[in-house]
Amino acid sequence: MVNEREVKYDEFARFILPVGPVHPALKEPFHLKIIVKREEVLDVELRLGHVHRGIEFLAENRNLIQAIYLTERICGICSHSHTTCFIQALEEVGGLKPPERALYLRTLIFELERAHSHLLLLGIMAYQIGFDTLFMYTWAAREKVLDLFEEITGNRIHHAMNVIGGVRWDLTPKMAEKTIRVMKDIEVTTRRIYDFFRGETVEKRLSGVGLLSQHDAHELCVVGPTARASGLVFDVRKDDPYAAYGDLNDSFSVISKKEGDSYARTEVRILELFELINIVQAALDRLPNGPINLGESPVRLMRRIPRGEAISRVEAPRGELIYFVKTNGGDGLERLKIRTPTLANIISLKKMLIGCEIADVPVIVTSIDPCLSCANRITLVDHETGEVKVVNADELRRKKS
Amino acid sequence: MIALEILLATLPLVFLLSLLFEGIDRKVHARMQRRIGPPIIQPFYDFIKLLVKENIVPTTAARSIFNASPSLAAASSIVGAAIPLANLIARTGIIGDLILVMYLLTMSSIMIVVGGSSSGNPYGAVGFSRKIMMLIGYEIPLLISVVSISIKAGPSLIYYDIILAQIKSDKCLACAYISSATAALTFLLCISAAVGVVPFDIPEAKTEVIHGPLIEYSGPQLALLKLAKSSTIFSLSLLAFTLFFYFPTIYELSIVLGEIATLGACLLGSLMVMLLTVTLPRTVFARLKIGQAFKTYWFFPLPMAITSLMLSVLGW
Repeated sequence: MVNEREVKYDEFARFILPVGPVHPALKEPFHLKIIVKREEVLDVELRLGHVHRGIEFLAENRNLIQAIYLTERICGICSHSHTTCFIQALEEVGGLKPPERALYLRTLIFELERAHSHLLLLGIMAYQIGFDTLFMYTWAAREKVLDLFEEITGNRIHHAMNVIGGVRWDLTPKMAEKTIRVMKDIEVTTRRIYDFFRGETVEKRLSGVGLLSQHDAHELCVVGPTARASGLVFDVRKDDPYAAYGDLNDSFSVISKKEGDSYARTEVRILELFELINIVQAALDRLPNGPINLGESPVRLMRRIPRGEAISRVEAPRGELIYFVKTNGGDGLERLKIRTPTLANIISLKKMLIGCEIADVPVIVTSIDPCLSCANRITLVDHETGEVKVVNADELRRKKS
Repeated sequence: MIALEILLATLPLVFLLSLLFEGIDRKVHARMQRRIGPPIIQPFYDFIKLLVKENIVPTTAARSIFNASPSLAAASSIVGAAIPLANLIARTGIIGDLILVMYLLTMSSIMIVVGGSSSGNPYGAVGFSRKIMMLIGYEIPLLISVVSISIKAGPSLIYYDIILAQIKSDKCLACAYISSATAALTFLLCISAAVGVVPFDIPEAKTEVIHGPLIEYSGPQLALLKLAKSSTIFSLSLLAFTLFFYFPTIYELSIVLGEIATLGACLLGSLMVMLLTVTLPRTVFARLKIGQAFKTYWFFPLPMAITSLMLSVLGW
């Protein structure tokens, strides 16, 4: 993926430290070839592709409803973001307009998902710096959000909330009350977590580590909290509102930090937790009455979607998620292209890692919150010539046979 | 000869006590994190399970060193813990046993990293270099603090003499002199680095170097290394308690309740020391980086140890 830089150091002082594919610092497999001299990182080589699943290709061979379930399974953490993004594109092609209440419910689940994703990252960050107690506290809070998911949608991780033209489950007033109660709980816990992170023991490990300047962040097109921590003010929810974010525009602000280090990336996520609690409360306050979907069978709706193409984007917990969808006019897809936030962010790792210490590697890798199963693409590298080429699905099929 | 027999009899006792201490440590740690935690005898289960597992030696390893070092590490740390315990029971000592104990405990931690670096794994090598850095950081203040109190209590390098001095002066050393109080603080600060727990588990950091020196060890060898670590914890807490906080009332207990009460009080005291110096820091702190840890030790415990030594020479 990235060529090794020419390193002119004496050969004895430096050695290659393989990080991954299996490593406690990585929650999912990818390979980092780190060239170190004592504790200093001189060069980094990134290799992805251990969890390539070919979901785009699979989706192109199935009908639209089956594809929704597939896209939901791209990521175990931001499953709702993927289906929302996909269904938005389908609705745009088909000219379908989901009812207001459905849009609000989508937003609600979206923000709850952001809560559990950010809490997960904060916990992992604490674990990476050896602070197991904070890890346990954070994940105990995350568990409350997951329980909420189970009560609202019936599932903890793959919510299967979205259907074409709306959502599957309605929110009862009792559930809304409980959601507000849990959010208040989370707010208290988050304040405490914020205190922990501001404490000296954590700050020592995070501040000044893995710097990404605003210029570099702009050049590398990083997205989401990674970009916002480097001083870029960029959030799809504000800039290109989807679902109910247009109506809820006044209930939140875009968090941005100038420092560009791991601490800023963590802090942005903590502050976003407070913002999303506001969004959830506003969404529940203004929740309109009415139907939650178009009231037609999804199969009939699917058949009504004509041939066409659309681009849809949402602000997933890790950043901007883009779907390009091209339907074939039957009930299937001609082309599906997914650009996940991690794919945009992971390239910036090289910039951040060079010059750091070995001890900072897990911190920096975690600070961009990589979600690797989403980010794996096939690239063939010819070992002799070093030639790199990307294969398409047809070629891959030919190679297999 | 009787002393030797007592020493041999103490070895299984050290084995039991150090694993029990580890179990209590894990339980308390878990409770502080709002977890239920493993049963207190979990370390025994772990030890037995690891003993019957297969031992794998990597092809890149320097075979003899790789195989020998876990046994050496375990043996030296167990003997290092058995000597003070035997001395407490036999109420006697030999000249220089304090130096021997400190040497054995250092030997144990050196053997662990030597074995790790002989595995041929780059993480083992990183762990080795980190541990040597740490050794330079904590070992000097640790030794100076011991020297400081041995000057105060005699001067004598016999472990039991220091206890006798506390009984005679009717005060524990940490309360008696400013120099000894400083030395006690230094010793306590050095324990968590000497046993390698968070915030000073840098050589074995799980998320950074995947347990560093332990990375290639498996089965009985790993069991021995874990035993070496837990008996080092036990030994250092026992030393810290008896050298600095041996209240004369503990000795008087034996007149009323028998010698077993004195021993029990010492063990209870060292359990408290372990909870304060090992369990508490690893619950409330994050791991430091090697440079930060090194600085911590050279800016706080080292000047404190030197001050304590100077004070004790001056007679404070």
